[in-house]
Amino acid sequence: MLDVVRLVWFDLKHELNPPVWIGLQWLTFGVQIFIYGALISQLVKIPQIPNYQEFYAVGFIVMMTFDVGSHSGREFVEAAHEGRLPYLLSLPISRSKLFLSIALKGGLELALMLMVPFAIMLSLIGNLTIVSVAAAAATLFCLGFGVAGLMLGLSFIAFKSSDLYSAITTGLSALIIRFSTVLYPLVFLARASPGYDTVAKFSPLTYGADLVHLFLGFDPSMLLNPTIAVAVLTALAVSTLGLGMFLLQRLVEGVRSG
Amino acid sequence: MTELVHILQLARNDFSYFFRTKWLMAILLSLHLSDMLVVALVYKNMMSIDYFQFFVPAVIVMGLFVAALDTGRRIWLAIREGVIQYYLSLPISTEGIVVAYLLAGGLAAMVYSTSLLLIALVVLPAAAVGNTLILLPFLFFLAMGLAGISATLAAMASTHGEYFFAYQQVVQILLLTLSTVYYPMNIVKNYFPAFLTSIVSANPLSLAAEAMRQYTFLGYPVQPFFLLNILLASLPFTIIGAVAYLVALRTIQTKGKM
Repeated sequence: MLDVVRLVWFDLKHELNPPVWIGLQWLTFGVQIFIYGALISQLVKIPQIPNYQEFYAVGFIVMMTFDVGSHSGREFVEAAHEGRLPYLLSLPISRSKLFLSIALKGGLELALMLMVPFAIMLSLIGNLTIVSVAAAAATLFCLGFGVAGLMLGLSFIAFKSSDLYSAITTGLSALIIRFSTVLYPLVFLARASPGYDTVAKFSPLTYGADLVHLFLGFDPSMLLNPTIAVAVLTALAVSTLGLGMFLLQRLVEGVRSG
Repeated sequence: MTELVHILQLARNDFSYFFRTKWLMAILLSLHLSDMLVVALVYKNMMSIDYFQFFVPAVIVMGLFVAALDTGRRIWLAIREGVIQYYLSLPISTEGIVVAYLLAGGLAAMVYSTSLLLIALVVLPAAAVGNTLILLPFLFFLAMGLAGISATLAAMASTHGEYFFAYQQVVQILLLTLSTVYYPMNIVKNYFPAFLTSIVSANPLSLAAEAMRQYTFLGYPVQPFFLLNILLASLPFTIIGAVAYLVALRTIQTKGKM
């Protein structure tokens, strides 16, 4: 276990010294919620969401989770591209421990990035129970791991062309966010154009966002069935992390990012 | 005359580099098209104003802004990877290199935002397309100003290269949220104190978005004073950017590094 901790710390210390990116995420959250969110909520007039700023704050946390998760996945590809992966593979530790260290580092990174924004969001919404807060945090972690695994799963493209991988993952990220219920309830996606809601049901963020909204007390009538959301998120996290583990065990030996 | 030819050759080289970066094109297009065809359309049904009519013209200005900001990334890359030393060895003055970069940045932003404009004209009826032709030179000047901001950031970050993207993100968020790109001025006035409202109304992005809405899509007659305002708001950014980049180049010329 000491090896795993050492590896996690080796990767994480670069981001903490100084913690520019963490501070930047917190600042972005502040500006987005207290300027953009506050102003845009003056324009939103729907009975299901009396205060859009709160709805947006939750959505923005889900977007941040997605960003951190996809960053962790992309880092794996960068490690292959920059020659760090062969070094890590040559270390005297098992592949499963290496995978555990990557997953743990992603989890810690997520916790560090979200700590302050999550606390601000909770205080903005107020009137919450410990169970609902814990459930929301657990959903975010599950989503984060799922997204990281998804990006890791796509890394086989990077072994052909890293440029193409970047184009696909970054382009896909924007679409996954827009075609989801992060910023608006599913019913409004359906009203905007027939088919938008169908596409949104393929986005993992739809399930993550709706579940977190549900735990934090938003109107359940505008959200997806929580049982389905839990099933989808669990399946995503387990399957994509399993795929990531398979990649690390079998495919990455000797490969170079194109 | 030879100097002018060299400036244009260097500008053409930088201009083509922008459009050859596949991942960048994927990000920009997926971001702006989904903003236009998903976010604006969904928000339209949730808001008290016709948000599609309001936001689509602003997406064109956002495209102009983000594409112009990429000039900084290209300058930063040139400094980091030593390509700048090659540029400095070319038979072209230092001032010529600065002009070439600003021209290329402005032109790339114009071409990219014109492609967004063409898509916008398909989805949103425009009352006076001819007015756009009057706006174009002013938007080009604005794009050069925005490229100037980006050049300043690249010059500032050249000693702490990895911070360039942090600076860029802060500037991007502040300039966009403190503008009328996302929300109308009356909402801003209701929420912000007077000094912040003045900043929002003087922001060149607010001016450009308003010009696009009023003159191209609503068809009001073009007000020369308003266009002059765009010029005056963009000029300081162009000058500061040009001077900052020039100082950076001179430092590299004399010391060999930043």
